[in-house]
Amino acid sequence: MVAFASFGAPHTRITQDRGPAEADVDTDEDMDEGAGTARLAMPGEPITSAQAFMRGHGTYVDREDVVASVAGTVERVNKLITVRPLRARYSPEVGDLVVGRITEVQPKRWKVDAGGRQDAVLMLSSVNLPGGVQRRKLEADELQMRAFFEEGDLLVAEVQAFFSDGAMSLHTRSLRYGKLRNGMLVCVPPALVRRLKSHFIALASGVDLVLGLNGYIWISKHVRDDAQAGEDGFDAAAVYSNKNDDIDDATRAAIARVANLVRVLAAHSVPLSDTVLLEAYEWAVDQDWEVKDLVREDVAEALVAAVASR
Amino acid sequence: MATVSLSKAEVAYIKTSLEATPPLRSDGRGLYDYRTIALETGVAPLANGSAHLKFGQASEQATEGTEVIAAARLEVEDVESGEGVNGGRISCTVSCSPSAYPHSSAAAIEDIQHDYTALLHEVISHPSLRPSNLSILRDLKSWLLNLDILVLSDAGNIYDALFVAAQAALWDTKVPRTRTVEYSAATSKARVALGGSGDMDVDSVEQSGFNVRDVKTAADFELEDYWDEGEPLRGGDAWPVCVTLNLYPPLYYLDATSTEEVATPSRLLVMYSFPADQPPRLQGMRLLGPSEIGLPLIKTLTQTAQTYATDLSCALRAKLKDEDLRRTEKARQRFASVR
Repeated sequence: MVAFASFGAPHTRITQDRGPAEADVDTDEDMDEGAGTARLAMPGEPITSAQAFMRGHGTYVDREDVVASVAGTVERVNKLITVRPLRARYSPEVGDLVVGRITEVQPKRWKVDAGGRQDAVLMLSSVNLPGGVQRRKLEADELQMRAFFEEGDLLVAEVQAFFSDGAMSLHTRSLRYGKLRNGMLVCVPPALVRRLKSHFIALASGVDLVLGLNGYIWISKHVRDDAQAGEDGFDAAAVYSNKNDDIDDATRAAIARVANLVRVLAAHSVPLSDTVLLEAYEWAVDQDWEVKDLVREDVAEALVAAVASR
Repeated sequence: MATVSLSKAEVAYIKTSLEATPPLRSDGRGLYDYRTIALETGVAPLANGSAHLKFGQASEQATEGTEVIAAARLEVEDVESGEGVNGGRISCTVSCSPSAYPHSSAAAIEDIQHDYTALLHEVISHPSLRPSNLSILRDLKSWLLNLDILVLSDAGNIYDALFVAAQAALWDTKVPRTRTVEYSAATSKARVALGGSGDMDVDSVEQSGFNVRDVKTAADFELEDYWDEGEPLRGGDAWPVCVTLNLYPPLYYLDATSTEEVATPSRLLVMYSFPADQPPRLQGMRLLGPSEIGLPLIKTLTQTAQTYATDLSCALRAKLKDEDLRRTEKARQRFASVR
């Protein structure tokens, strides 16, 4: 079936209400954020005088002015002016949970695409190998690194540290981390994923989510409680498996539904959290929409309104 | 987002989803459903015809979706110098924004562009599809139609998107009206009218009544100053649509997303044209991918592709007429508000 549509008017045009006094910020008082209104800057827009302020990230000095080089919100710390871009790559912090994809296998390390400016690094020494946490890494492990992760594999990991060039180093030294299977990946802008108490979310109807702080979201079949990491039913041999379990049609439909919900919420710039996703899922089931109808514009807007009103 | 590779688990997940009964794809569509296609014509004021197309979510903030902008621009070519050809010609170019393929290097993107350009140019500029009003002066001047397509993002099914965008831009194209200009010797009568002295003895060149040679007199042309931008490019009903069948023998599906494309071993592109009052015409065909497909299967697949192409073409035609209506309505409102 083919359906054509028109480009609708954007939902929220960013209207920049600027009083006459705000037109150019020259003094200290004007730079203070009054009543929580964020000031937006377009690339090439003069922000303030270069003599009174210093240029930070996202700005440059052109003659007498500090000029924005990206579109975003203007921020000020004392005399330092920065512009935080609206759309940016993921900037990692230690302890962040990320979902990544292996791009390269190198000696003693994997390169991982985690949505940052540079590929992340996963050292062989920072993964759990089958056969126990305390196992020593052998030369044989180095020779068969592709048996653990190969190009294209998805994994969930934590940011452990940074290298001197700013690349992040990951680790999967927990039984909850590691290779991903039984599901699908959806990518959203990283700014939409907030830091939560737990980034492993279990929805009703047998769907698990991993909200990577880099905007990569893994949606998969629920792992039974007795098969969770550390429980008796945990299958240590399946940690590096490439084979999916049997997934029934209802679970598959539920996974597709969650994926569409995530896409719709991201398209409408709704920050994702466990409560938002739970509410959105309940709403979708209550309203009894077909999975494919969720991306329809009218349904999507109703969904966003419903989630926002709660 | 174009992905380089998928994990084995993802490929297996996509495959079993397609093979399940009933099949359910990652966004809940059936096998033969298209994503919503958002289309707008007349987006580039400086082009003679243009279109903006997006497969997937229609909202502007949406990060996913295949987005393409097409624009047609007419240029005058000299036929005498061998630059142009009689009857005009069409040249297609596809360029890809680096953000459409963030994982590819510049050289790889150039290869991709070349592939798209070659296919589109071969099909669209085929002599059987050449519009009849691209000629200005026989043996002297003709129009060259440059069709440029820019790929802003690629979330799968780029070939269908290219052809739909091309058709929309060509449908929207207006060819300026031209008038021939002749250089002829002024007759004595004309000279009198110009204020020359009528009683002087002047050599007047009379046209010989015996001169029966058909001398071509038109030497140049000028643009007619008229209220609209010109007449529509003819042959608008014959522009082909492309249908991509993604093959997982024995089953196939339409409008793959980029992840599904990576997981699919081969694709069959079929280009159909539906000229008015004529049976549908197969304008081109490509098989992409490493796997081999038998001739009997291809025969049945091209036949099934025709039904999908008919659907797509009908829907597109209706949408383009809607767009024409919308734009005349908009122009009228603007005119009314100015008055």
